Amino acid sequence: MSSEAVEKYKAISPAEFFYKYKEIAGFANPARALYQTVRELVENALDATDSHGILPDIKVVIQRADPVQEFYRVTVEDNGIGIPPDIVPNAFGRVLFSSKYVLRQTRGMYGLGVKMAVLYGQMTTGRPIEVITSKREYRRIYFFKIRIDINKNEPVVLERGSWRKQRDWHGTIVSLTIEGDWGKAKARIKEYINRTATVTPYANIVMYTPDNEVILYKRVIETMPRPPKEVKPHPYGVDLEMLKMIIESSKEPTILEVLVENFQSVGEVTAKDLLSKAGIDPSSNPRDLKEDDLLRLINTMKSYNQFKPPSSSAISPLGVEVIKAGLTRMFEPEFVDAVTRKPSTYEGHPFIVEAGIAYGGKVPLSEADKPILLRYANKIPLLYDEGSDVITSVVKEDIAWDNYMVAFPAQLVLLVHVCSTKVPFKGVGKESIADVPEVRREIKLAISEVARRLRGYLTAKQKELETQRKVVHLAKYIPEIARSLEVIFSGDGFDKDTLVKRLVGIISAKTGIPENKINEVIRGVEIGA
Amino acid sequence: MSSVDVRARMNAIGVLKEKFKIILDQIQRGEKPTLVMPKRVLSNTIYDEKNKMLLLGPDVLRRSLIDVNEARKFMQTLLMASIIYEALVNNEYPTIRDLYYRGKHSIGYRDVDGKLVHENTWDEQKESDSVIRDLEVFMNVLREEMLILSKEKGKVVGNLVIKSGDDTIDLSKMGHGAYSIEPTPDLVEFKDVDAEYVLVVEKDAVFQQLHRYGFWRKYRAILVTSAGQPDRATRRFVRRLNEELKLPVYVLTDSDPYGFYIYSVFKIGSITLSYESERLATPSARFIGVSMTDVFGDEVFREVLDEVKEVGGFTKTALGKLKKKKPYLSESERRNYVIKAKQRDIERAVELVGYDVADKCVESSELRSKLKKKEGLTGYPWFRTPNWVRELCIFFKTLNKLEIEAMASKGLKFLADTYIPSKIEGGDWID
Repeated sequence: MSSEAVEKYKAISPAEFFYKYKEIAGFANPARALYQTVRELVENALDATDSHGILPDIKVVIQRADPVQEFYRVTVEDNGIGIPPDIVPNAFGRVLFSSKYVLRQTRGMYGLGVKMAVLYGQMTTGRPIEVITSKREYRRIYFFKIRIDINKNEPVVLERGSWRKQRDWHGTIVSLTIEGDWGKAKARIKEYINRTATVTPYANIVMYTPDNEVILYKRVIETMPRPPKEVKPHPYGVDLEMLKMIIESSKEPTILEVLVENFQSVGEVTAKDLLSKAGIDPSSNPRDLKEDDLLRLINTMKSYNQFKPPSSSAISPLGVEVIKAGLTRMFEPEFVDAVTRKPSTYEGHPFIVEAGIAYGGKVPLSEADKPILLRYANKIPLLYDEGSDVITSVVKEDIAWDNYMVAFPAQLVLLVHVCSTKVPFKGVGKESIADVPEVRREIKLAISEVARRLRGYLTAKQKELETQRKVVHLAKYIPEIARSLEVIFSGDGFDKDTLVKRLVGIISAKTGIPENKINEVIRGVEIGA
Repeated sequence: MSSVDVRARMNAIGVLKEKFKIILDQIQRGEKPTLVMPKRVLSNTIYDEKNKMLLLGPDVLRRSLIDVNEARKFMQTLLMASIIYEALVNNEYPTIRDLYYRGKHSIGYRDVDGKLVHENTWDEQKESDSVIRDLEVFMNVLREEMLILSKEKGKVVGNLVIKSGDDTIDLSKMGHGAYSIEPTPDLVEFKDVDAEYVLVVEKDAVFQQLHRYGFWRKYRAILVTSAGQPDRATRRFVRRLNEELKLPVYVLTDSDPYGFYIYSVFKIGSITLSYESERLATPSARFIGVSMTDVFGDEVFREVLDEVKEVGGFTKTALGKLKKKKPYLSESERRNYVIKAKQRDIERAVELVGYDVADKCVESSELRSKLKKKEGLTGYPWFRTPNWVRELCIFFKTLNKLEIEAMASKGLKFLADTYIPSKIEGGDWID
């Protein structure tokens, strides 16, 4: 990490920072704080596992930590890659950004969230964070108790220790004690875990609650989403703030080298071209450039039309198999399908939209105007602000559900996942996605595709049902018809059984229905008196 | 059992077996069993101008077991055939209601969800009645010929000796009563007759009055009543009187659209039972009255003619050539006897003669716009004649009707000795 970046954030104290941002970060009140803490820890746990090709085993324990006060100890254990012991104090005890500016789809916000939780815990209960961690290749397990020195913005290690591994364990266990409100937060937390589990069918997730409940989601598949790769930002997607940050965290002596080293699709030729168009000397010290220069550079980059499109390797869609397995685990539906769209871009940011659909089975009945919506952004469930989400608009305005043989309320769940290096969230709450035309279009196409497949299924099902009805409708009369003909022709060498066989043969030949199905119906017929 | 009865049974059994053998053979050959019969629908009902009767058209219905929409009817048809067959062999005389009860039972089956469902072979008698009609057209045998009975409604008296079963009956010796026309009129044998014409009276009460008055004896008539809408037996009986005994038939009904229609049923046939017209209709039957011109004369109609060029497709000149008519009722009698027509009567009249005639003859513009919804009706062809156009035009213009009883109120003597004889002698009827 660069000293400049550290310098920058020393300017405000972590306490100030916290108060400034606690609403945005989700720590406005004890209930929100408890929910947010669970979220931050679970998301880090998943990032430490599935992003590195490890099938997650996540354990969440929430306990009362004080007989009188509403203190809760939240412990989240994962089987992830672990954290090197020399990094642990800074990873949990210093408020700052990552050292190198790269883009990669992660759940957490650059590790900032967990530090907010540490600060919140420290300020409400005074208790330190406890961390137990080990990497796969280590022989020892490391243990830390850390607090943050609020004035100096430094980690204070209260206790540290290590012991020899008795068994082959790797991962991280983090415990935080905070003031919370389980009564008010529990519905939210449970829903969050449920919705997370829906898109992680490859994970074992277990949660122990203060009500002595154990909620378990067992792994149902071993396929995981492709882990995201780190990529450099694409010039189309850069704004002034980001460019400043990139320059500040770079070591290159000239602006030319900064561009070549830190952006995708930019080689020396392109970089020189860009700088000459922007009227900037390629050999200038990037840190000496004025804001005017930087703005011109950005405008040049945005209007330059010879870049390759942004790489999508940084984004990690769930994949069809995962979505289907997840929906199946939750709803045991009669029909399930999913689609992952091809990568697309908006404003220089690559993104992928996925949609999953589940019908029937244990899917609950939807509302009267739309299916049950499960929205996700970068694998994180979006639980609030459904009404203002572009996904909701698409579902209600752009999709003619009648055309897909769906009439609400229906036992229908629709899952939509938008993943991107920069999800276009609406507002600061990050609970809904903004109406960006490119994104809206992809959402519509993804939903239309799964809806079409549902229609295919429903059509086939209806046809099958109609055939069955037809069999019943024709076959149920055979005994009566045979009996009637017997009355008229008995004694003329009439044989009822042969006649029935013939009739079955005729119906089968004319309708293509197997004879055994017809016979089955006939066997069930009782002629009343 | 009489010999005619036995012969009828043997014949019906034979036809039934022959027709259903076709189905049996189809099944044995592995073909889809299909009942082919003339379509019994209005669109396949044809007015035969030449023979002046309603007949079934050439459209045929193919009722196959394989057709989901026809499977139930197919089953019902076979079921009904088996019941009728049993009744024929067992020397029974079921009524259509008996047949309904004999065939009504449940068929229990499992639906697609495996639920046990009970379906009745038929629910209402309407359904089984319809199947009986299908069988009549399929086999081309009337129900009477299958010894199926219906309620007796029609009555007859007169100088006529018949043989019914093994009994000989003199219809001039019925006292105050009358002979009930049996449901199987084809089994009746005409032995002896001394009459000049047949008078069919719509109303039972008027029939009784004329009977007690001795009308039929005095005027050598055979007096028949249908007591309202004529049933099949009465129509067949009248037809046989006309056809076999060569007696002219006169029909006397109320002077209203319903009465006119009853006359047309005797003459032309009914729309719902057009398949039987060939055997039931009496094309030469004449409408003796009571006509609108009997009540109002033709003055009213001339007033209409003054204002239009044509009515009902006939020119003013053509209509002007109709025989002049004087009313049988005086102004004051008319005031006492006529009844105001109801909306129902008016609409029925539009059905008979067509909307255009109503449009020309109805005076009230309010009523005309009310009838606008019947604009599509073009009338039955057999009522689109100059005489009937005049009759119904007067009805539309006056919006009055008259029951035959009113004529009798004027004096039974007037009805029996003046009105009827003078109309017959004067040729004052509609043909």
